[in-house]
Amino acid sequence: MDNEMTLSFIAISENEGLARMVMTSFISSLDPTIDELAEFKTIVSEAVTNAIIHGYEEDGEGIVTIRAKRNGQTITMTISDEGRGIPNVEQAMEPLYTSKPERERSGMGFTIMESFSDHLSVWSEPQKGTSITFSKEFLPIQSNLVLGER
Amino acid sequence: MKHQLLFVEDGIAIIRLRGELDHHATQLIRDEISQSLYRGTLRAIIWNLKELHFMDSAGIGLILGRMRDFVPSNGQTVILHPSETMKKIFQYSGLGSYVWPTTEEETIAELGGIFNGQ
Repeated sequence: MDNEMTLSFIAISENEGLARMVMTSFISSLDPTIDELAEFKTIVSEAVTNAIIHGYEEDGEGIVTIRAKRNGQTITMTISDEGRGIPNVEQAMEPLYTSKPERERSGMGFTIMESFSDHLSVWSEPQKGTSITFSKEFLPIQSNLVLGER
Repeated sequence: MKHQLLFVEDGIAIIRLRGELDHHATQLIRDEISQSLYRGTLRAIIWNLKELHFMDSAGIGLILGRMRDFVPSNGQTVILHPSETMKKIFQYSGLGSYVWPTTEEETIAELGGIFNGQ
């Protein structure tokens, strides 16, 4: 394991930006491209927002925890909460499904997380919480150069 | 999160978003944008994302919400200058066709042409 970290914060929406900032620093040694970094930040933001608004309804008390590992060029990350959980994970992952239409949630969170990550899995149990685990590989800049020369 | 709202050429609103648009930011700016848009009779909203450095699905919710408000008046929505990642998010959400490759000026001219003349 090259590096490992844990970050915990209370469920207020202000911390969505905090999570993106900390995770951006954590992966900076991988020299991500602008697009790789934007996709990574989007996954983090979607997962953390889910925990804050769906897990805890922004109660400012519940704790959201991010655990991340860097192994070579791959980042593996778990975002977990001990909130209300998702009764039907399959339904929640359908594009455009939202349990909070009145809040103008687009229902695209899981679709975006799946599209921007290499692997994504969701564990959830009502009244126990939700964990979203994903991994994303960052292409080394060196190999791009080599391909370009050939 | 900062934004700038401009009204040009009777009935076209331009919203220039800046900084990072996430769920937190949309909570701060949604009401203000909604109320401003209700003040006039609009026929088009142009979302200019040139200075927007980050957007997640909350941005989709914000734009879709304004589009729904807009349905009765037959208004048009145009999205300009999204980043590559934002472009993908718009495509996944079915909003890809609202992204125009034009500049603000060209868009206004185009909308003026469609609505005034022909």
